[in-house]
Amino acid sequence: MRNTAVVLSFLWAIFASGSVQADQLVTDLSEHQISIRSNFTGTEILIFGAVEAEDPTDLATERDIVVVVTGPEGPVTVRRKDRIAGIWINYDAVRFERVPSFYSVSSTRPLSRVVSMDTRTIEGLGLRHIGLGAATGLGPTGTETSLSEDEQKVFSQALLRNKQNQNLYRAEPSGVAFLGRSLFRATVDIPSNVPNGLYTAKVYLVSNGQISDAASTPLFIVKSGMERAIYSFAHEQPLLYGIFAVVFATFAGWAATLIFKD
Amino acid sequence: MFQIYLPIAELPVNVFLILGMGGLVGFLSGMFGVGGGFLMTPLLIFTGIPPAVAVATQANQTVASSISGVVAHWRRSAVDFKMGGVLLIGGVMGAVAGVYLFAYVRALGQVDLMISLSYVLFLGVIGSLMLNESVRALIAVRQGRSPASANRSHHSWMHGLPFKMRFRRSKLYISAIPPIAIGTFVGILVAIMGVSGGFVMVPAMIYMLRMPTNVVVGTSLFQIIFVTALVTVLHAVENQAVDILLAFLLLLGGVVGAQFGARAGQRLRGEQLRALLGLIVLLVGLRLGFDLVVEPDELFSLTTGVAP
Repeated sequence: MRNTAVVLSFLWAIFASGSVQADQLVTDLSEHQISIRSNFTGTEILIFGAVEAEDPTDLATERDIVVVVTGPEGPVTVRRKDRIAGIWINYDAVRFERVPSFYSVSSTRPLSRVVSMDTRTIEGLGLRHIGLGAATGLGPTGTETSLSEDEQKVFSQALLRNKQNQNLYRAEPSGVAFLGRSLFRATVDIPSNVPNGLYTAKVYLVSNGQISDAASTPLFIVKSGMERAIYSFAHEQPLLYGIFAVVFATFAGWAATLIFKD
Repeated sequence: MFQIYLPIAELPVNVFLILGMGGLVGFLSGMFGVGGGFLMTPLLIFTGIPPAVAVATQANQTVASSISGVVAHWRRSAVDFKMGGVLLIGGVMGAVAGVYLFAYVRALGQVDLMISLSYVLFLGVIGSLMLNESVRALIAVRQGRSPASANRSHHSWMHGLPFKMRFRRSKLYISAIPPIAIGTFVGILVAIMGVSGGFVMVPAMIYMLRMPTNVVVGTSLFQIIFVTALVTVLHAVENQAVDILLAFLLLLGGVVGAQFGARAGQRLRGEQLRALLGLIVLLVGLRLGFDLVVEPDELFSLTTGVAP
């Protein structure tokens, strides 16, 4: 009898804890592919979903949603200008190896009130916690130099500032709205200057300060139509492209003399 | 509205802004009879087009404008093909050297500086010379004197050089070395500035080679077609910086603008035209120089990709 009670209480404990931990996310995007055509001036994507609570009557939970959209990663060199002989020229630089080309974080409330500092650091949530990869200091002639922690911070902050000015990094502390108890939606601005590639939209469900579920959805941003054709032609067949450009210009110049022949 | 996405510059621009710039520079080039590349490249940079794309695309656009220009001179047989060919030998060497220098400096992250500095230097010098010369001429006219003719001092050292060639159309018997040197220098300018180089080539042909003025412009245009064509291909291969959509828009505006410019130019006198052009050139140069000297709002800039 006593053993049975222990097992029962143990099972209850699992079940009870399960009911708290087992809230699940169901999410989707309004578009899974964005095409950059000649008329592309930016767009916005809608990320929506629902929280499937294990216990529908559970009213006590304090739920937050954090939506992070990241673009393809790559190396970025941050250059700093200095005044040399009266003119401002690019002097020293720091190269970061894995910089997301795009980063947008939206949440139901300011992130500092949603999750702890530790979680933000580990998960890379928030502009100040974006992982940039290894940093290398570069001298004026491109040789590697030593890099102090303070210097690295100055350059990484400059990177964030520049990316924010280009609208490629952004934080929307109230960008996610709950519609009722379980449905939520977030709109993420995609500016006109986004690089193309494979993006990831990751949605975090935070219950009582803990991340209880996360779901990722891929998003393709591709140049399409004539722009895509010109871009890939120029990068894959540069010699042919150059010859084509000259032939095109020759024809255009000759056509102009015919049109305006006095 | 009316935004168009440039595939190589990788940014959206207003169609009418680009057409308008093409038209304005076309108007000026039609009015003054100059290529206009030395004004277009800085304008494109002011608009936010990456300097490398501005230079390479301007070289491509110059192919078209030089071809439409050379046809008229060809009809009047005002082209010295032999001289053009000799200049071209130098032009090819200069273009190749210039494009590789450009790619190297670009990898160092200093290409914007190189472009700006060369523009400040050339626009400053050419603008000051033109303004000075034309203002003197204007004063002379006002005082009732005839404008002083150019100082035709004799360059005896040039006749001591070997490899003499006969240029029948130009009625010259001179060494091939000076034209090749001039061609090389202009080829480098085409590659790093995206200009046709006419503002250096034409005075050099008149004052150094002493070619008859009636064949100077046609011959200069003839050889510049091939130099800019080569620079376009090399920039496409080395830097992937030629934007044909942008070149097309500039050309469209430029062709129309040049027609009106040529008509407007006929109503102004030569010295006034040169004074006006000198002033414009000087102002563009000063603006570029100002940007180099004044502390920028943002000291940091980003470059995507690996720098060596």
